Amino acid sequence: MSAQKGEHEQLNFGSSVDGMPSYIAAAHELKSPLALMRQLSLMLEEGDVPVDEQKRMLRQISLTSERALRLTGDLTRSARMSDSLFNLEPINPCQLCEDVVRELTPLFEAHDREFRFVPVRGQVLLVANRDLLRRVLVNFGDNALHYADEYSAVELKIGSVNSGKTIRLGVRDYGPALHAGALKSLKGKLSKSAAPINTRPQSSGLGLFIASQFASAMNGQIGVMKHRDGATFYIDLQASKQLSLL
Amino acid sequence: MKATSVLIVEDDKWLAEQYERILAQAGYKVSITLHALDAIGMIDKSVPDVIILDVLLTGSTAFALLHELQSYEDTGGIPVILCTNLANEMSLEDLEPYGVKQILDKTKMVPGDLVIAIKRLGL
Repeated sequence: MSAQKGEHEQLNFGSSVDGMPSYIAAAHELKSPLALMRQLSLMLEEGDVPVDEQKRMLRQISLTSERALRLTGDLTRSARMSDSLFNLEPINPCQLCEDVVRELTPLFEAHDREFRFVPVRGQVLLVANRDLLRRVLVNFGDNALHYADEYSAVELKIGSVNSGKTIRLGVRDYGPALHAGALKSLKGKLSKSAAPINTRPQSSGLGLFIASQFASAMNGQIGVMKHRDGATFYIDLQASKQLSLL
Repeated sequence: MKATSVLIVEDDKWLAEQYERILAQAGYKVSITLHALDAIGMIDKSVPDVIILDVLLTGSTAFALLHELQSYEDTGGIPVILCTNLANEMSLEDLEPYGVKQILDKTKMVPGDLVIAIKRLGL
């Protein structure tokens, strides 16, 4: 992963108003899945849909509702950040990455896309909170699903930077590249307020805002690398020194 | 009689398929694209009778596409129906010069509204 080329920027969203993400951003982000579920439900209510199609629509409703629930769960965690202490521990991220891929695979398959973990050579140990890190990676995966080209694969990769002192977990999608200005607006607008911004056009940026909060709680940082054919959203975390003691 | 052709530009694939389902049942010839850039290519190949357009799209917003359409004589007249979550933040009056004939609110519309909206255009 360290060999990747592209425009690169760390994302520091600062703190939100009263430590809480904007209600407007949350409402905006939830509108799309709710509107889709409503449309599908109304269609099913009207009947006249073949059985196979009904099953497919019901599956889409359940996967979409799970996606929306993940966001509400993350919002709750994010709002409680200031009240909570998150235990940081040495973690082998490989197992966690495999779990994240397993969690999101049904959603990716339903969208005719693949989500895969690219195994890393050697043992890697980083300092993180297991639950928060999982939420960050799921968030990146969700984000990539939306932007990845149809039938393309999204990759979850592990690498190291800063002479091995920092471990980087990145989600690489192969979709439209971020506009040059979007990188700046990611950093600029959200650091001023938690109001909706355009990360990539139709996103409020709320998911990345939450990921940024979670990363900070683990003394880490999120960032994005723009490629010609997509982007890598990543989190940098401190490598655990435990391995060097062995 | 030739079926009315509808181009759906919507980056949520499942929602696009939902629109397609409704419109195909009503007898329309439907094409889907998830990106505004692809839409331009598709329109170049075959000019649709009407475009159903989401506003916040991956890679480029609907407004870039609307501008592009208005730049050419053969596409400037294609009626556009916006289907968006941002309906209450938009004014039809402002968008009419860009070929927008109606704005549907995704959060409030029912499946039949799309067909009604197209029929209102006399198509």
